[in-house]
Amino acid sequence: MGWWRYYTPKPARQVKGGIKAQSRRGAFAASWWGQRWLKVLESFDIGERLNRGRTYARKGQVMDIEIEKGAVRATVQGSRSHPYEVEMLFRPLSRAQWYQIAKALGDRFITLAKLLAGEMPEDIEEVFLNAKVSLFPLKLKDLETDCSCPDWSNPCKHTAAVFYLLAEEFDRDPFLLFKLRGLSREELFELLGYTPAASAPSGPDRSGVAEPVPEEPPLEPAAFWGGDNLCGDLFGEVRLPEVTAALPKRLGGFPFWRGKAPFLEALEPFYLKAAPLGLDVFLGLTKAPAEEAPPQNKRMQPVPKKAKTLHGKSPPGRRQSGKSAPKKKPRRKPRV
Amino acid sequence: MLILHAAFYENRLFVWGEIPAPPEPPVRRVSKGRLKVVKPPPLPYDAGKEHLSKALQEAGLSRMLNGLISQTAVAWLPTQKNQALASSPLISEVPASCISAVLYPWQVTGLCLPPLAEVELLCACVEKEVLAPGVLIGKDLAFWAQALRFAGSLAARQRFLPGLQESEGTYYARWEPVLSGTDSSVAARLAALMPRVCRVLTADAASPPVRPAAQVLEDFLGRMVDQLVRSPAIAAAEPAPARRGRPARKVPGFDSLHDQWLHALQAPDGPMAGNPGALAQLHQQIQQWRHPVTLTAAAPFRLCFRLEEPAEEAPAAPGEEHWFVRYLLQAADDPSLLIPVKEAWNPKKSTAALLREFHAKEYLLVSLGQSARLCPDLDAGLQTTLPDGHPLDTRGAFAFLTEKALLLEQAGFGVMLPAWWSGRGAKMRLSARAQVKSPKMTGGSGINLDQIVRFDWQLALGDEDLSLAELQELAARKSPLVKVRGQWVQLNAEEIQAALDLWRKRAEGGITAREALQLALGGAQTPADLPFAGLKAEGWIGELLAQLQGQAAFAELPSPDNFHGILRPYQVRGYSWLNFLRQWGLGACLADDMGLGKTVQTLALIARERQADHPEPVLLVCPTSVVGNWQKEAARFTPDLPVLVHHGVTRSRGKALAKQVKKYAMVISSYALLHRDFELLKEIPWSGVILDEAQNVKNPETKQARAARALPAAYRLALTGTPVENNVGDLWSIMEFLNPGFLGSQTAFKRSFFIPIQANRDPEAAQRLQRLTGPFILRRLKTDPKVIADLPEKNEMKVFCNLTKEQASLYAAVVEEAARALEGADGIQRKGVILGVLSKLKQVCNHPAQFLADNSPVPGRSGKLARLTEMVEELLQVKDRALIFTQFAEMGKILQRHLQETFGREVLFLHGGTPKKQRDDLVGRFQADGSRLPLFILSLKAGGTGLNLTGANHVFHFDRWWNPAVENQATDRAYRIGQTRDVQVHKFLCLGTLEEKIDEMIERKKEVAEQVVGAGEGWLTELSTAELHDLMALRREALGD
Repeated sequence: MGWWRYYTPKPARQVKGGIKAQSRRGAFAASWWGQRWLKVLESFDIGERLNRGRTYARKGQVMDIEIEKGAVRATVQGSRSHPYEVEMLFRPLSRAQWYQIAKALGDRFITLAKLLAGEMPEDIEEVFLNAKVSLFPLKLKDLETDCSCPDWSNPCKHTAAVFYLLAEEFDRDPFLLFKLRGLSREELFELLGYTPAASAPSGPDRSGVAEPVPEEPPLEPAAFWGGDNLCGDLFGEVRLPEVTAALPKRLGGFPFWRGKAPFLEALEPFYLKAAPLGLDVFLGLTKAPAEEAPPQNKRMQPVPKKAKTLHGKSPPGRRQSGKSAPKKKPRRKPRV
Repeated sequence: MLILHAAFYENRLFVWGEIPAPPEPPVRRVSKGRLKVVKPPPLPYDAGKEHLSKALQEAGLSRMLNGLISQTAVAWLPTQKNQALASSPLISEVPASCISAVLYPWQVTGLCLPPLAEVELLCACVEKEVLAPGVLIGKDLAFWAQALRFAGSLAARQRFLPGLQESEGTYYARWEPVLSGTDSSVAARLAALMPRVCRVLTADAASPPVRPAAQVLEDFLGRMVDQLVRSPAIAAAEPAPARRGRPARKVPGFDSLHDQWLHALQAPDGPMAGNPGALAQLHQQIQQWRHPVTLTAAAPFRLCFRLEEPAEEAPAAPGEEHWFVRYLLQAADDPSLLIPVKEAWNPKKSTAALLREFHAKEYLLVSLGQSARLCPDLDAGLQTTLPDGHPLDTRGAFAFLTEKALLLEQAGFGVMLPAWWSGRGAKMRLSARAQVKSPKMTGGSGINLDQIVRFDWQLALGDEDLSLAELQELAARKSPLVKVRGQWVQLNAEEIQAALDLWRKRAEGGITAREALQLALGGAQTPADLPFAGLKAEGWIGELLAQLQGQAAFAELPSPDNFHGILRPYQVRGYSWLNFLRQWGLGACLADDMGLGKTVQTLALIARERQADHPEPVLLVCPTSVVGNWQKEAARFTPDLPVLVHHGVTRSRGKALAKQVKKYAMVISSYALLHRDFELLKEIPWSGVILDEAQNVKNPETKQARAARALPAAYRLALTGTPVENNVGDLWSIMEFLNPGFLGSQTAFKRSFFIPIQANRDPEAAQRLQRLTGPFILRRLKTDPKVIADLPEKNEMKVFCNLTKEQASLYAAVVEEAARALEGADGIQRKGVILGVLSKLKQVCNHPAQFLADNSPVPGRSGKLARLTEMVEELLQVKDRALIFTQFAEMGKILQRHLQETFGREVLFLHGGTPKKQRDDLVGRFQADGSRLPLFILSLKAGGTGLNLTGANHVFHFDRWWNPAVENQATDRAYRIGQTRDVQVHKFLCLGTLEEKIDEMIERKKEVAEQVVGAGEGWLTELSTAELHDLMALRREALGD
């Protein structure tokens, strides 16, 4: 019997909005590579700390995780008032080693395709083995961990919690392992000899990016006001999808999700409700979606007594919209 | 008159408007130095807040007016010689030449609608030109209405993702559309069609707007999709209502930024609070999460899978055939451009040119990797260094066709399947065919649709029947795809099981002939949902079906003896068709073009009914404006039939009515009374119910539509001049009236016809609907070769209208006053009085507003105007054009204004005061611009002679000049050399008034008319006082309501 039997861990302070593991029970990572990563942790032989780490991960004690090339830094709330700092440093592979791996990958289309599409190919370890290196860090040699807590054990339960959360993130993006071993996506493409992919335009947000303004055609007053009516057949066919929220499902979970409800589950109702409304709008059946809208101004439209219907109730955010509207008003210029 | 415009500006719809304004002196613009921003002058046509709010109110959108904010913006509009050019001549005259026009800033007032009101307004504008009388929809607003439908399509197909946008230092949670593949090309096409006026606003006059159409459209779609996703979520996420006296709950605190984000996605506007660094980091996380979709959405190519059939020359055992799925790259802007993946990987020169700028390798790796996750078969194809495709056996091919293809398609990849699979309707499948046996038709008596006929199901494959042994043989192959007679046929296990079950339980049964009919036309359920392959019928049912579907002729009938008139050959066909359906108790919709004589065909049918000794009366329901016309036409063509007009305050009610109607052959009533007197009307055993202008019941929810459906009758007939068969949405209500149950319930109809046809563009559904409804709708156009031969080149018709109450009382007052004035007047004075009175009475018949000259509102006060409006609406729908003659310039003005406000089109008006040059302009424009100027009003004196207006094929005489020669001359403006179509002439008359009397007098004396009548209306002054009294007296039937 060791002395640690007398050590009863103090309960950790509760954290709000920490990163919670998405798996509620059972095994942590769904993918084989996520589990393989956890094997690395288990190989450290830290006993009960594994369980406590898992509980920490599920309860959301990890407040923050930052990942950069070769390093992971996290803050974990323990029993003391100040959270602990956890650091993991990975030993990067050399350029020559990466070159060799990239070359091997270039010959295996499926391996590379799966890797880039978010799945760790089964034969990946073989590729690394041929280059005489290991993708998953071997203990001590490839991975250095550190925590600011007083526990003598390294890794401690705080580090373990971070390990578990990382396992989930690996599930989502296996390429992260490459990044931690020192190779970014862009660098991989470079090694493969592909033209580096220009970063895809980042959605509708392109603030600050100057865009070329196409030349306007010469003014023709008749065309200016609009010519013939548009043909309604422009839009092809519309079907309600059979699988709900296929787009976010294709993308998978959100990196280090901290929300109360699991991410994809939280999104699904939006998709379910928007689709029929969209179809009605497309078909021109919607006479008044506004009927479902809350009244614009509470003072002008008193809340009906029977507020069973969807409208008539004033949500807390209503006033914000009222406030933001005039904000957009163009500033009146003083007369010149 | 107000033209509503909308620009997308500062991420919201800015609604502004133009109203007519007199041309102002050119605005002098003083620019004080180049750098100073000049405050632009207000647009002379600017509608302003009051008018805009009123317009929205009139459009029934008053709910959105609560707390509405108006603001001004700078609009850059075409300006010539410092004068703003109006969008339409309805606002202000547009100069003939606008060569030197430039964009110049003007200040306009607009409304910023709350988000959902934007959606509501745009929904109300879809495919319309007028939002409410006098509120016209500008082309820009119409464009946004269509663009909203696209946003609806994106939301319906769930092509959106949550995101975060930064604006002026604040982050907003937003739902953002994902445009990929065909969606991005639709967006590009839409952007190219955007009228420039959609993006002319700026905050100040410093510089003209620069945002290109594509970006403005993208902003718009973003805003609308966000609203469509957000609004139902807001409605659902509302907290319990605040208790009385307590303030609403504050915004709850959030445990994490992610929770706040989720909350903001369902809160109005979606602003996010928090430290900017953390928000920026969240933004980055979201981009990272969305990267795979962004990557594929932005790609100019997309990965496409093509299933290729086994080669003919290498036959294999059933189920062992070699299918192949080939991987291709498909260009987003040209779907016919396909590059095999193998070639794209190592592009040759020609391919490389196509792929330039496109990082095919990364795209292919990511896309193929993603597809492999959806469809593990792909693993086999990716084992090589250069993937090309993967092979499949027949079972695999079937799985690909039925499941994998759909999955891949939904994930945004292209899928190309063999034509025999994707060609809808042509699919070779196991199907069920019905068989009906009935005795031969003998003499026609004693047979009706309620009889039970022998009925049986038969299985078929393609066109051929299938025996049990054959079915078992196919089942034994245990392959879901079987090649039968060179054709691949789908045979899934469930269907085979259903078919075998059907065989086992096979017991001949009976159904009613009506059910058999419905089945034959494709309107009933098949067992086990096997596809329906038609009905084989023997005996009279077969004959009836052949006749219904136009494969066999039905007997043409001579017109009944009690019908006084001669039916044209096509009318004989129509009348015989009506009678044929009536014999079977089937409802019919006669949808002939205006002027082809729906009325006479109907009257012939009623006359025949009467002859055939059906003592019960027919109920004819029509709009108030045509009650008099029906009465008059019945008196003319079927004078022996007693007709009751059940209309007006003096109408009988209760038991009196039930007793009274027994004496009549036909009862005429209006839609308003159909609902109001429904309890009375439904107690009467009608032999038939006829709805004239049946588009009045196109909305099944209206009271009149419900009432019409609920009236019991032996047969039903709907008359309409609008192309009902083209409007899927309106069809159900009319068909449900005619043949209840044929199209299924309204919900079932929406599911199996409306959505497949309107949203899925499913030609098979459209065909099914046509097969089901075609036999009951007869529509012939004036231009049909079979009809045109029977029509005279000039077809004159009288249109009898009723007076409104207001008109009748004004009329009575004028007559009374005239009687006093005539006493003791003689000679020249008497003539003067008579002409004055006649003119006043004509004015009353035209419109009270004309008589009173008080500029009062126009709609709803004149029977003639109501009828004219209905007829113009109908002719505009078929792109006809019309001249409208009146002898009063004031009436012309009223008509012009009313028609412009009702139909939103410019209406030309030529009168005595029009200068010569402008007359030539008007005539020139009318003859040249066919589609935009369908209506031309002329005063009889100024426009009755000399002009060439062959562009019109309808001539209306809104009021009468009591001289046929003058009227004919006016008619000849359209009916003359150069006219390529038949001309229809509509002469308007008010029933029971002097208009009708004088018309009768002229008709009586037609042969001598020219001598009696001379050149003017002077002959009327020669009548004796007694004759005059009789002429002017108001008869009972004058009153419309």
